[in-house]
Amino acid sequence: MSGFKETEGTYGVNPRIRDFLVSCIGAVAVDGGGVSLLSRTGAGEPVYGSDPTAEKLERLQFTLGEGPCVDASAGRSPVLVPDLESPGSGATERWPTFLAEAFDLGVRAVFAFPLRIGARSLGAVDFYRKAAGPLEDRDVVTSLTVVDTIALALLDGDADVDGAFGAESLHNLEVHRAAGMVMMQMRSSIEEAVLLLRATSFAEGVPIDALARAVVHGERRFEEESA
Amino acid sequence: MTDGNVMETPDSGSSREALLASTFVALADTLVDDYDVVDMLDGLVNSCVALLGVSQAGLMLADQRGALHLMASSNEATRIVELFQLQGTEGGPCVQACRTGVAVHVDDLTRATPWPRFADTAVTAGFRSVHAVPMRWRETTLGALNLFNEEPPSLGNEDQQLARAFADVATIAILQQRSLHRSSQLVEQLQSALNSRIVIEQAKGVLAEHGKVGMDMAFVALRDFARNHNLKLAAVAEALVRRERSADDILVAVPRPSAPGDADR
Repeated sequence: MSGFKETEGTYGVNPRIRDFLVSCIGAVAVDGGGVSLLSRTGAGEPVYGSDPTAEKLERLQFTLGEGPCVDASAGRSPVLVPDLESPGSGATERWPTFLAEAFDLGVRAVFAFPLRIGARSLGAVDFYRKAAGPLEDRDVVTSLTVVDTIALALLDGDADVDGAFGAESLHNLEVHRAAGMVMMQMRSSIEEAVLLLRATSFAEGVPIDALARAVVHGERRFEEESA
Repeated sequence: MTDGNVMETPDSGSSREALLASTFVALADTLVDDYDVVDMLDGLVNSCVALLGVSQAGLMLADQRGALHLMASSNEATRIVELFQLQGTEGGPCVQACRTGVAVHVDDLTRATPWPRFADTAVTAGFRSVHAVPMRWRETTLGALNLFNEEPPSLGNEDQQLARAFADVATIAILQQRSLHRSSQLVEQLQSALNSRIVIEQAKGVLAEHGKVGMDMAFVALRDFARNHNLKLAAVAEALVRRERSADDILVAVPRPSAPGDADR
């Protein structure tokens, strides 16, 4: 379905991620979407587009080095542009070249969401629509949930972690506080620390918030040797 | 705001009014281009403690799913932070204020409340009264300002109005621009603020573990480092977690405990 070569990026894009994205596109009022990932060096790489237009949009942004998806990857904020042609969108000033190309593709609205594990940006997911108009509130919620699920799927790789240890752990501040501690205990990266907390929670059948609290209170430590 | 820690609790009368005026001017002055939301709100909750005579103040923000997240606390020690966050699962005045858009006052937490587990935990932590003021923007409630006091009763009428003014300033700080007109921008600002807070939590964990200090000390070290170097709090936190900046640099001014262990966590 996709023209992109898979598994060339740091993480590749597994079928699960494709399924999540396709289900989101079906549920939300958009025409298509794609995923771009950042390599360890910070270079962006398009890995998936749900249709030829989405593929072009992804590739275009990282070739030009500008666009909503590039900004979302680099920042901590979603970049939601309900109408690229509206003067109020700021699109002309922010992405002049991208704007011209998007216009040629017939794309009017772009909604880009960062894929983040706190301090680490993994890339971004973006959706496009040929008609102008904002995302409805419930579509924003769906998009945010799917984006979190994709971030976790990237983190877990092919590991089959149960859905019960789902996306809400990415919003639990105590999990992040604990991950910062575990990162230092294990001399690892922050995303490895979050993954270790999730995997331990799953393996031991302990809710991740309880595990995180034990770490923060110094009752549970992760040592390098035990890895 | 140059330093939220140096203000003292005012006695009464005109000195308090002067302090109030200067506090709001100082808060407004931080709303310049490209300010750091978390740092600004940290100054705001510390001003609440200084001016309203409450024991602790915290600011909770609701995400698009309706879940509440702590954005700023006058004390970042784990036991205080957990008390704010407990409301997300057990209910509490902040949740009610967010849902109804109406301020909630509880003068005596030892008497019956709709949230027994929250009340028990608050009383165990030494608090007797609590106050939650919604942060409203048009039809939306963005979150709530939460004030705890060790003494009953809760705030008087005048202080309640003042608390509302603080909540309004916080709303403006989150929205970052007074002429916000698209709901898309609201989503962007809320998510940006929430993501900043997540990075800061990760950084607190890094500093607490590395320096064997409490979470409150870790936050103060991070905040002071950012201010002293004229950097954004979230940017310093992100560089630290990505190991682009060393924890020792940030902890350099923090006194180390003589023995391992940490009573403040």
